[in-house]
Amino acid sequence: MKKKLDVEKMTYAVLAIACFFIFWWFITTFTPAKETTPGPVEVIQLLFTSFFEPIGSHVITGHLLVSLRRVLVGFSVATVLGIVLGVAMGASKWAEAIFKPIFELLRPIPPIAWISLVILFFGIGEVSKYILCGIGAFTNVTLNAYTGAQNVDPELVGCARMLGTSERDIFFRVVLPSCTPQIFAGMQVALSTSWMAVLAAEMVGAQEGCGWMIQRGSDTLNITLVMVGMIVIGCVGMLLAAVMRVIERRLCAWNIMES
Amino acid sequence: MEHHGELTPIISLRHVGKTYMSVHRSNEVVRDVSLDVAENEFVVLFGPGQCGKTTLLNLIAGLQLPTAGEVYVDGKKVEAPGPDRGVVYQTTALFPFCTVMGNVEFGPKSRGVDKKTRRERAQYFIDLVGLQGFENSYPNRLSGGMRQRVGIARAYANDPKVMLMDEPFGHLDAQTRYMMEAELEKLWQKEKRTVVFVTNNSEEAVYLADRILILTNTPTHVKEEVRVDLPRPRQYSDPAFLAIRRRIEELCDDTL
Ligand SMILES: Nc1ncnc2c1ncn2[C@@H]1O[C@H](COP(=O)(O)OP(=O)(O)OP(=O)(O)O)[C@@H](O)[C@H]1O
Ligand SMILES: [Mg+2]
Repeated sequence: MKKKLDVEKMTYAVLAIACFFIFWWFITTFTPAKETTPGPVEVIQLLFTSFFEPIGSHVITGHLLVSLRRVLVGFSVATVLGIVLGVAMGASKWAEAIFKPIFELLRPIPPIAWISLVILFFGIGEVSKYILCGIGAFTNVTLNAYTGAQNVDPELVGCARMLGTSERDIFFRVVLPSCTPQIFAGMQVALSTSWMAVLAAEMVGAQEGCGWMIQRGSDTLNITLVMVGMIVIGCVGMLLAAVMRVIERRLCAWNIMES
Repeated sequence: MEHHGELTPIISLRHVGKTYMSVHRSNEVVRDVSLDVAENEFVVLFGPGQCGKTTLLNLIAGLQLPTAGEVYVDGKKVEAPGPDRGVVYQTTALFPFCTVMGNVEFGPKSRGVDKKTRRERAQYFIDLVGLQGFENSYPNRLSGGMRQRVGIARAYANDPKVMLMDEPFGHLDAQTRYMMEAELEKLWQKEKRTVVFVTNNSEEAVYLADRILILTNTPTHVKEEVRVDLPRPRQYSDPAFLAIRRRIEELCDDTL
């Protein structure tokens, strides 16, 4: 029954993507847009050739790896810091009183707004890029860890106390596991935010990366290149989200209800 | 060993009172309760809904502190939660992120018992409550009755001096409830412990108790105590059983 439903869903997904490409092809072949906009055939051709003909300094996989490294470093550091800060704010009234106002103040500022300041302080090297990729992820993870830690069932904590569990163990064996599903929800959003921020991070002073490719394309009016960059970012973003879901299923198996 | 009587009591409440204070009003829930529970005695606290049964149990557990009087368990004044008292909650309060085994061995693990010993011990109680084969299941896959068994095994595996049970079968359907009552009694016969059991079901009270304490509405105090000397396991339809049931229901009704 479930298998059948999955197959059905897959069929719809493939059909929807096919329709999108046909629509794109139609627009760029039969309407005036064809003067300016490259069609799917051109874009896919460039995508293929870019695997062995370098764009700038790298072939496309090189750019992809560079961007992935930036995103993963920024995301990982941001996640660790976010979990620490968020759980601290949720578990301790003091940490909440001290950090919450600053956090609430900084939270609405989008990562792009930070570009100049980050470059001013950290230069145009890799560190700036890690930071720009990490900012959005940090707010997401912090916020989720915070709500997660706030909503830990007090009965579970009382129960652990009755069993003779030390406060330190209660933190690691009750509070932290209780918030993992929420933290994971935050990490999923955070990973896509980081991946989206790669464009901003590579806008200034970068010589490589997927964001740089798009930037270079729009500087040289090479719309085909812009589109190749977009497709790569889209596909890899989708893959990253899928990987996160697999990890979540592993780590939060206890929280998944099967119908 | 004597069942109850002259031995020094293991639980002892002396003029215990509890008043919840809030900004707007104070709510006196427990008033001047004094009671003793002997070692290995099965005492049932029987009272109407919202009368303060959970509060009284939490005072013994140390999860709340009395505003008057003192609570002693095993000669020591109760001032905080501790592993000498095991609690079984109505809502089960199992750790959802731990398997059945993880839940049952949670207490011993917290107290640094080595893995082999605590596993054996946990397994013993898992078998005793009839959950063999479910060691690696998570609580969200278990039925209500099974969860309550895990809760009981978890409390037992920590080897507490006294067991505090707050309407553990309150959420179960009638059939499962009968089954659980019978199993709890068997377990208690096999692994004798002092039990304080809260309920507002008279049938359950008479089936399980050595002694029933009847509580009044708030501010609650002990109105009467009724000994149940029927041989175990008891028969629900036995005339003597029904007589005691009627008696405690009347006593409880009068307090309304
Ligand atoms: N933490 C608390 N703070 C303030 N008031 C409380 C608190 N816990 C209980 N009360 C009040 O004390 C009274 C008795 O509550 P308690 O839960 O002890 O009764 P109960 O007999 O266990 O009820 P039930 O039959 O629903 O289990 C209620 O009026 C409740 O509002
Ligand atoms: Mg209650």
